Amino acid sequence: MQTILNFLIKHNHWFLFTLLEGISFVLIVSFNNYQSAVMFTSANNVAGNIYSAITDVDSYFSLKSENEILTEHNRTLLEELEQTRNELNTLKDNNLLAVHEFTRNKADGFYYKSARIVNNSLNKTDNYITIDKGINDGVHEEMGVFSEKGVVGIIYQSSANYSIVLPLLNGKSKVNCRVKGSNSFCALQWDGNDTRYSYLVDLPRYAAFEMGDTVVTSGFSSIFPADIPVGRIQNLEESEDGLFYRAKVELFVDFSAVSNVFIVGSNGKNEQDELEKSLEEK
Amino acid sequence: MTKNTLIRFRNFVLLVLVQVLIFSRIHLFGYATACIYIIFIIKLPRHTTRNELLIWSFLFGLCVDMFCNTPGINAAAATLLGFVRNPLLSAFAHKGIPDDFIPGARSLKWSRYIVYSVLCTSIFFTALFILEAFTVANPLMLLISVVSSTLLTMLFTIVTEFFSSRQ
Repeated sequence: MQTILNFLIKHNHWFLFTLLEGISFVLIVSFNNYQSAVMFTSANNVAGNIYSAITDVDSYFSLKSENEILTEHNRTLLEELEQTRNELNTLKDNNLLAVHEFTRNKADGFYYKSARIVNNSLNKTDNYITIDKGINDGVHEEMGVFSEKGVVGIIYQSSANYSIVLPLLNGKSKVNCRVKGSNSFCALQWDGNDTRYSYLVDLPRYAAFEMGDTVVTSGFSSIFPADIPVGRIQNLEESEDGLFYRAKVELFVDFSAVSNVFIVGSNGKNEQDELEKSLEEK
Repeated sequence: MTKNTLIRFRNFVLLVLVQVLIFSRIHLFGYATACIYIIFIIKLPRHTTRNELLIWSFLFGLCVDMFCNTPGINAAAATLLGFVRNPLLSAFAHKGIPDDFIPGARSLKWSRYIVYSVLCTSIFFTALFILEAFTVANPLMLLISVVSSTLLTMLFTIVTEFFSSRQ
């Protein structure tokens, strides 16, 4: 008995080692679990605050190019505003009922918020982005995120002041897309390698499109409005079973340089979700 | 004793911040990452008990994980490093060296210190990359990542050592 005890005392670091490795492995395995991730990610307040302080400093270095992009974006928005005004005026001229329809549809649609990226990773197979808006700002899960260049990702989880975005560069991310000019839609999925490219999987063979065609959001899910740009088709290949096409898409967003994003929420989302859920329950 | 502990805590916080704010953002060619916080583990004094080493390494890994969204991965790899450090260091401690010493270029001489830290660093990175990919199906990619990351980290280790041993 004494020898066993002595043995255990002498080798106690083995037990500590096993214990600590055990804890680490539990953490690794539960990494995929949504709830436990909340504790240990940069959406947590301590890490989030430090990251936003550092981003404050960081953002000064890219102010100039950021400004140019914003000015350009402003210009296009002004053009669009002018166009919409013209349309509205034409409609007004046509009849009052049409104007009523037009404004009503607008109010039913999407609303936008802006946010800043405070943390961003590129080198893993499952990347995440942290932004500085959370539940307190009306941002919650399943809202779409895009920058002035194109789609960035979908909000994965939110804490009070921060949210984590599941970007296009995450194996778990699937965004419903459409090739501009054709009506067939398909999912965009990342293969975990090059951060500049993603893949459209399960493209139907009868769909007509060419290399260089633009890929946009489909607008079928209530997360993104239709026609937000995603990328450009680079090259086409057959899927492994030969039933579908697989297209390599060059993403418009440069994930290593993106810093300001817009968040889009849908007023009709809950209604659409409930309707779709009630169908599943039947 | 208290002074030493305070200094150790200060180094701990500083290294975690430097690691997550600067070095974790370096990804050369998509393969090489720098983990300079393991210098802390490499340079703990010779007479640190293995239990103490394990706890420091684990805490270090956990703090870095918290900021990098990788719960457990750094903690597991650092704990492994903490576990093998003492036997490794014993193998490099030559005769005529004081009983308790801080591993460094001055106490171990450059050549021994470099071989010792290369071994520590590569053990750490091998564990880290295997855990991150959770597979060994792509050994070439693993090898490139481990070698390039070890080289990059060693570059910073040598620079730090160069300046601290001249003081």
